[in-house]
Amino acid sequence: MITPLKLVDVNKQFKDGDRQIEILKNLNLTVEKGEFVAVIGPSGSGKSTVLSIAGALQSSDSGQVLINGRDISGYSDKEKSLVRLKSIGYIFQAANLVPFLNVRDQLKLVTELAGEWNDDAKKRADDLLESVGLTSKAKKAVQHLSGGEKQRVAIARAFMNNPELILADEPTAALDASRSREIVGLIAQEVHDKNKAAVMVTHDESVLDFCDKVYEMHDGGLRLRK
Amino acid sequence: MLSLSLKEIKFFKLRYILIGFILFFVASLVFIISGLANGLANDNASSMKNMNAVSYYVSKDSENRMDRSRFAATDAEKISNANAQPLGIQMFTLKNKKSDKKLDVTMMTVNPEQFLMPSVTEGKTISKSSKNEVVADITLQKEGAKLGDELYDENTKTTLKIVGFTENQTYSHTPTVIMNNNSWYSIFGGKENAGFNAIALSDTHASTKADVKDAIKDGKFVEKDALIKTIPGYEAEQSSLMMMLAFLIVIAVFVLGAFFYIMTIQKVNQFGILKAIGAKNKFLIGSTMLQVFILSVVSIGLAIGFAFVLQQIMPNGIPFVFDFKLILQFGGALLVVSLLGALFSTTSIVKADPLQAMGRAE
Repeated sequence: MITPLKLVDVNKQFKDGDRQIEILKNLNLTVEKGEFVAVIGPSGSGKSTVLSIAGALQSSDSGQVLINGRDISGYSDKEKSLVRLKSIGYIFQAANLVPFLNVRDQLKLVTELAGEWNDDAKKRADDLLESVGLTSKAKKAVQHLSGGEKQRVAIARAFMNNPELILADEPTAALDASRSREIVGLIAQEVHDKNKAAVMVTHDESVLDFCDKVYEMHDGGLRLRK
Repeated sequence: MLSLSLKEIKFFKLRYILIGFILFFVASLVFIISGLANGLANDNASSMKNMNAVSYYVSKDSENRMDRSRFAATDAEKISNANAQPLGIQMFTLKNKKSDKKLDVTMMTVNPEQFLMPSVTEGKTISKSSKNEVVADITLQKEGAKLGDELYDENTKTTLKIVGFTENQTYSHTPTVIMNNNSWYSIFGGKENAGFNAIALSDTHASTKADVKDAIKDGKFVEKDALIKTIPGYEAEQSSLMMMLAFLIVIAVFVLGAFFYIMTIQKVNQFGILKAIGAKNKFLIGSTMLQVFILSVVSIGLAIGFAFVLQQIMPNGIPFVFDFKLILQFGGALLVVSLLGALFSTTSIVKADPLQAMGRAE
């Protein structure tokens, strides 16, 4: 079985004024299929950096980033965008939907970017909208949706291209407590149903019971919480 | 990509309509000025432009100006080649005997049986033997002239009768009055005293040129376009209008470039998000350029329609000629200009960072 995400000895430095800050030090992380992992830690501890490196949004200074067994650390921007398109589904803090497309077209767009909008894809879109409970709002403009509904669309979009890896960056930051549990529960349900690997970065302790493993950021690395 | 572009235009109607209007008005102005330049050129030089001659023989000291060139009639008559015909042009003020109205005209003499004679659209034409009969340009009708009217020249006490009208035969913004050489001679005091301004050539064969040079020594051959440019006022009118056009087009590049740039800057966040979910630069640039293309084609198309309608309702006094071929050329230039303007802003698409999607603001 291929491991969807494996980070090996990843290092990342940032420049803060004259100082170099080592934000990630020899960080290791493995996420298997069907596993929903949370990464928690105080702000500035580097948890979002872990996610952006795992998500091919930025590069590490050294170490290996293996997505589906392939090391993407040496990939060009173009190759990385293809990895992002086909192998990774993102759920951001803000839903980050395209403002001028309706709910169903949000899903259509990512399929069109990857290839064909065929009957298969249409069925997948309808199924996804049903599982996030938005079938009745498929034709609605996204500006008329509530925050929770937008996040549901974002979840459906993340799964649309059938990626092996789902990355969620503080998906509940803009939601109230009951909505937060609803959204994380939905992500957990989809991840387990579709046997995907998922990493969620959060500072919301109340949703951690949905996760299979919880890692804490500690001194530039990750420590499994017992 | 197309449906995405259209959906975005539909969603952000207002901003696209505003930019579309700028483009529409710039394009309309370009078409109107080009129509005026064209109209003025016609008004000034249509008789020369429509003349079936390719080259002219003028005096050496004339600085290529027809009105400064002169050949004695007796010399010009020595040319026996049918492809080389003497041409006389002279500005006059004639009085219409019927209405007592004074008219500014350009009197022109040609051999009515040769290639210089334009075709008559109303009334009859003149022949070699006509006596003081003339064919006038149709614009003389705006001054109240009709078939059969008699025009009187007070200096030479000559009366000329209008027997026909022709079209698009104006010179230096005045209608031409075309007569045969006999009438011309009688106005200027006989063949011995009369003169022509140029010898018009219908071809550029060496033999034709040799025949002309044998008869009249002191002259040079000038191309038609060069001679048109020296019609008093022609170059001044055309170059000032052309300068306006050139500036308009340069302005259009920068105005449109600035607007497209602002619009793209506004969307940088969106480009970042789209890149984060896997869109490539090529796709984003393509859809932006496609939008600009759609916007430009619609705006320029409407402006062409507007210029066409304007021509229909423009008062007669304003010389405005809608030349479809020329307008398509300018329209094409504007399309290129607006795509060029949009191209400036594609650098900010390339620079948009997918990491922005991780930002903390929607």
